[in-house]
Amino acid sequence: MNRLKAIADGQTFESVIHPEVLSREPVVAIKDFSLFYGRKQALYNISMPIVKGLVTALVGPSGCGKSTLLRSVNRMNDLVESVRIEGDMLLNGDSIFAPSVDVIELRKRMGMVFQKPNPFPMSIFENVVYPLRIDGQRDKTLLNQVCEQSLRGAALWDEVKDRLHESGLSLSGGQQQRLCIARAIASDPEVLLLDEPCSALDPIATGKIEDLIDRLRGEYSILIVTHNMQQASRISDHTAFMYLGRLVEMAETSTIFTRPTLSETEDYVTGRFG
Amino acid sequence: MVWLSGGMFAIACLMILSLLAFVLWQGLWTLWPRNYSIYSRNDGSILGGELYSKQSIDGQDKLYLRTGNYDISSRHFAYVSSLELSDETPWTDPDLWLVERKEWGNLYGFPKDLSWTKSAPEEFAKHVALGLQETSKIDRQLAVAKDQLKRTDHQIAQARLGVRRVELAEKVDLQNAVETGSVEGLSELAKRAIERLAERNLRADEAMIQINEQIAELEAKRSERSIVFELPIGQELGKLDADWSELSAGKLKDASGFATLLGIESDDNGAGISEQQISVKQVGKGHLLCKVQRQNEPVRRLSIRRLADNSASVSTLQEHSILLADVVRFFPPNKLGFLERLGIYASRWWEFLSGDPREAGMEGGFFPAIWGTVVMTIIMSMAVIPFGVLAALYMREYAKSGWLLSVIRISINNLAGVPSIVYGVFGLSFFCYIVGGYIDGGPRKAGFTPWPSPVWFSALAGLAILGLASFAVSVLSGQAETRRSPFRATLRWAGGLLWLATLAGIVWLLIRSPHFEGFYQAQLPNPTFGKGCLLWAALTLALLTLPVVIVATEEALSAVPNSLREGSYACGAGKWQTIHRIVLPYARPGIITGFILAMARGAGEVAPMMLVGAIPLATELPLDGEFPFLHGSRSFMHLGFQIYSLGFQSQNSEAAKPMVFTATLLLLAIVTLLNQTAIWLRARLRKRFETSQF
Ligand SMILES: Nc1ncnc2c1ncn2[C@@H]1O[C@H](COP(=O)(O)OP(=O)(O)OP(=O)(O)O)[C@@H](O)[C@H]1O
Ligand SMILES: [Mg+2]
Repeated sequence: MNRLKAIADGQTFESVIHPEVLSREPVVAIKDFSLFYGRKQALYNISMPIVKGLVTALVGPSGCGKSTLLRSVNRMNDLVESVRIEGDMLLNGDSIFAPSVDVIELRKRMGMVFQKPNPFPMSIFENVVYPLRIDGQRDKTLLNQVCEQSLRGAALWDEVKDRLHESGLSLSGGQQQRLCIARAIASDPEVLLLDEPCSALDPIATGKIEDLIDRLRGEYSILIVTHNMQQASRISDHTAFMYLGRLVEMAETSTIFTRPTLSETEDYVTGRFG
Repeated sequence: MVWLSGGMFAIACLMILSLLAFVLWQGLWTLWPRNYSIYSRNDGSILGGELYSKQSIDGQDKLYLRTGNYDISSRHFAYVSSLELSDETPWTDPDLWLVERKEWGNLYGFPKDLSWTKSAPEEFAKHVALGLQETSKIDRQLAVAKDQLKRTDHQIAQARLGVRRVELAEKVDLQNAVETGSVEGLSELAKRAIERLAERNLRADEAMIQINEQIAELEAKRSERSIVFELPIGQELGKLDADWSELSAGKLKDASGFATLLGIESDDNGAGISEQQISVKQVGKGHLLCKVQRQNEPVRRLSIRRLADNSASVSTLQEHSILLADVVRFFPPNKLGFLERLGIYASRWWEFLSGDPREAGMEGGFFPAIWGTVVMTIIMSMAVIPFGVLAALYMREYAKSGWLLSVIRISINNLAGVPSIVYGVFGLSFFCYIVGGYIDGGPRKAGFTPWPSPVWFSALAGLAILGLASFAVSVLSGQAETRRSPFRATLRWAGGLLWLATLAGIVWLLIRSPHFEGFYQAQLPNPTFGKGCLLWAALTLALLTLPVVIVATEEALSAVPNSLREGSYACGAGKWQTIHRIVLPYARPGIITGFILAMARGAGEVAPMMLVGAIPLATELPLDGEFPFLHGSRSFMHLGFQIYSLGFQSQNSEAAKPMVFTATLLLLAIVTLLNQTAIWLRARLRKRFETSQF
């Protein structure tokens, strides 16, 4: 507990990152990254890799900066006026925050799914091919092909293949969230960012999404924020524990949940605080 | 508290409902064909009319009668108190006709004779209907001829304008040349213009003679046929030597007394009038109407009133002849069944909606007013929608929130509450006089002194440099959206300011130009755009409804969930792509609602219309089949303004009152229709987003 108290007091703190994580090839490498909302600092010197082809879970108490970190990866925080950052991240070796980077191009290389399903007010088909549409893609056969592929990838194809031209809003919550995942993978992204994708869903829909994430493993590199420890242990390969804007400990999921280095991590994942 | 608020609610509902019911009742009732009732007054005279309303005040009834026969009685309506009447139950004569005329309003009377054919009274209706077909043909020919006349006039005016243009361009006085026809020493252009005018004049003279002849001929033909009526107004003949009580019982002791009074000769059998040829109808306690029907003679009607000594005084009914061609509609109002009344009611509504006004708008149709309102509203929408939507888009999606934006937002909200007459005054002084004057006659006409040419040209050069600079700066700051840097942000600000300055410079140079003399200088001093007209009215209203559109659009935009915008950005969409693919479609129902509310507000606005272009009687429509079809510089008729001018400005506003109510009903209907469409459209679009097909 004293380490957490030290963090709360604002003392400097060294994250513990297990070597088995560091030894793998990262798709996103976060380098000494800090973020400020106006004067308020939300992230403190975070360095961590997100390993290619695996599922990395971000856990931590509410308000610790998980979403902020996730949204920094595809620079969604640019939309917040007062944001200022220090440090950098690398996407497959390319800097994300260098001044010369085109954010639009950058975001196209990642897919993102939000806590609440947010299908666009258009048909299911148009929802899925939206990333291609904004690139000006008009080739009907290509669009059809991508639509089917992505919906199959999101395990939604069988349920909607006969109603592709109905509104995306006519689907159930779980279906809507899978539709959003289909949209996120339509442009074949290098990283998939999921911010509590199941928190607005019932257990059955949650189960389906978890199965889906399991199937996407290997094909996509996934960074997922979750509050649900069981979920993290079920679906993720790596887990990072954050607290008050710091990365506390990061390791293979089994390590974090069975024999973490820090007692604070153990306390958190076993539900003794948080 | 429940009772208080509930009571207030009930009162509010009641007030609104009674307003609606009142307008509905008055508006719907006006055009219904009523009975024509003849009342007998205490002094023995009679008064006839359609009963429009009856009010009980202090134990007496006040009757409001449409008396018609304006050309004889010089009034359309009359109030009469029941105390003045000898009998309150009126006499409704089945033989009486109502004739709606093109001029002078309604005529009520007994048809006596048709000038063009001998026929029995029962056949009158048929002959009039047949005759009307022919006169309407004549009227159509007349209209064509008059149109030709107008066109010739227009051509001459056009040729004169041509000469005037040359005068202005070459700064010469061609008046003399035009009069004498000598073109020595004039420029080629001037020669051509003068020759053209001379030729037009010559051709017009010939055509004019011909057309005028034709018109005279048609007019003569038109006035060939007339109908003679006996009006229910008496002309004293003399005293009848008979007892009142017997007369009123239908008994005649001495028919020859009548014959003498009427100056009727005895027929072959030596008798004057036989008793069978006279039928007597009691109209009131002291009044009789009697019908004399002798073979081979038109029916004659007499009015008999009781004198103090119980004897009777006889009057013939006054004869009045009207042109058949002036008849619009005719029917015997007291003989009609319900379906026939309904037919007339429908035909009157049809005329009201589609016809031209007669009698300075007191009769006939409101079509020009409806048309003017609709055209003006459509132009207004076309002006206000892009402005309003783009402004709201900027405020909601692009501008950084801050105190400046809040101040602007509050001002816009306040602008919505500015009395509309203020907009009218602004429209008149800015659009009509300044902008319109500028278009007509250049800076001088708009009240600006132009700069000397060299100054102006050096300013132009300066402006060009400024424009280039702003262009360069915006290019440099381009893509600022995708890349963050404080330097670029400053540059963007500077670019914006430079563009603004350039715009201001352009306007400034325009109003100071020494090289622009207006597009319609030749027409001066008659203003073309420098007066109230359709264009300025539409723009004034656009300004007036701009706050409504901006506020509604902003609301619609802020109702778009942020999660949708984020989702779009996360897919790699740019700002504009997000706006036009996600935000605008989602906000569309709200935007359309605001737009229709603005239209409804604009359509019903009267105060500014009085200043910027609505007139009580326009001969030309603002949008018609004549090139260039839409005439922005024409004045127009407007429904709301029409209500005002008819009800309060016409010489005979009392008589116009029923028409005012009908027009009010129409305006109410149009506004309600627009509002309903807005609600329906919104519901439909919402539904479309939520479930059904795309
Ligand atoms: N737009 C913003 N402006 C200012 N502060 C913000 C903003 N977004 C988040 N914060 C602050 O940053 C901190 C981290 O927020 P963040 O949303 O990243 O937490 P989180 O770990 O995702 O929490 P949760 O589990 O509840 O989603 C919080 O203290 C929050 O108040
Ligand atoms: Mg969060």
